Amino acid sequence: MVIRIAAVGDVHLDEDVVGRFRPALEELPNHADVLLLAGDLTRHGTEAEARCVAREFGGLGVPVVTVLGNHDYQCDEVPQVVEVLEEAGITVLEGNGTVLDCSGSRLGIAGVKGFGGGFAGRCAADFGEPEMKAFVGASTESADALKAALHSLDCDLLVALTHYSPVPDTLAGEPPEIYAFLGCYQLGQAIDSAPTTLALHGHAHHGTERGTTPGGVRVRNVAHPVIKQAYSVFHLGEHLEPGEVSRMGSLGTRPAWS
Amino acid sequence: MTEHRDVDTRRATDAYVSAEIHRLLAEDPEVAEQGITVVRRELGLVLHGEVESAQRRDEILRRVAEHFPELAVTSDIGVVRAQPPTEIEQLP
Repeated sequence: MVIRIAAVGDVHLDEDVVGRFRPALEELPNHADVLLLAGDLTRHGTEAEARCVAREFGGLGVPVVTVLGNHDYQCDEVPQVVEVLEEAGITVLEGNGTVLDCSGSRLGIAGVKGFGGGFAGRCAADFGEPEMKAFVGASTESADALKAALHSLDCDLLVALTHYSPVPDTLAGEPPEIYAFLGCYQLGQAIDSAPTTLALHGHAHHGTERGTTPGGVRVRNVAHPVIKQAYSVFHLGEHLEPGEVSRMGSLGTRPAWS
Repeated sequence: MTEHRDVDTRRATDAYVSAEIHRLLAEDPEVAEQGITVVRRELGLVLHGEVESAQRRDEILRRVAEHFPELAVTSDIGVVRAQPPTEIEQLP
């Protein structure tokens, strides 16, 4: 059983960049069973920008599943953004999940935007002013929603999709002072509470690609400025050698075992 | 415009300038970039980061120059490549 997942985040689409991803996306069905988008699809979260996303990522020939990012909330048009994306066939997750049939295997994807708050020993606490309590409350609520979504799915492989990071590992390269604005440990805790195979996130443009949760779940930062390509492709399957990387040919992926 | 010297006897407060540039780039609707860093070099401030188009890169430098005309600012901002991947990662 191998499930092929393509993923990218932080594409920040607007009229000026429509079409940039499309040549690579046309090849995507040769390489992947599904495309996951890790939020920050737009610059300001307007309906017009969402239409750019729909044009760029709609009609690919494979299912597209996304969460929103903080940029997608900027103009308070989230309902309109979601509607435009869903009209284009893109599934938008926020505290829920979906199960896709990928070559006979069931891929479960649980998604939430997530929030900041920081990581062990350097995190905000639900204490003091109402503003601080609201901040921590948003982190906790988001992580609780992710946990519930992860546990609700009946599938063979389970993937967590967030915009904010669940671990500090993939933030390496960002100033440590802003880690608390880039993710929170509660998301990692939610991911570790379920039989999650892979966690994907974006948001940290200066971060690094690879990390793991304290419970050993692999985490990948797929922010576009981090992966520096149209999307990354991951093959998930229990018989694969961990960490093995193989070349991708012009006619599609060439697995390492071929 | 904001005065970036605490008092005449002190040096220009780079930290405040850097903070203002960060906020400008995030909050200006024509820019909306949070991933740009500002570094002090001998010849002035250098902007680093990656954006999605050459227009956005040019607009960032234009906006910063417009708001801080007294500063020597150069840009080392790149445009993120969008080519298809050449490798896959296999995970168990």
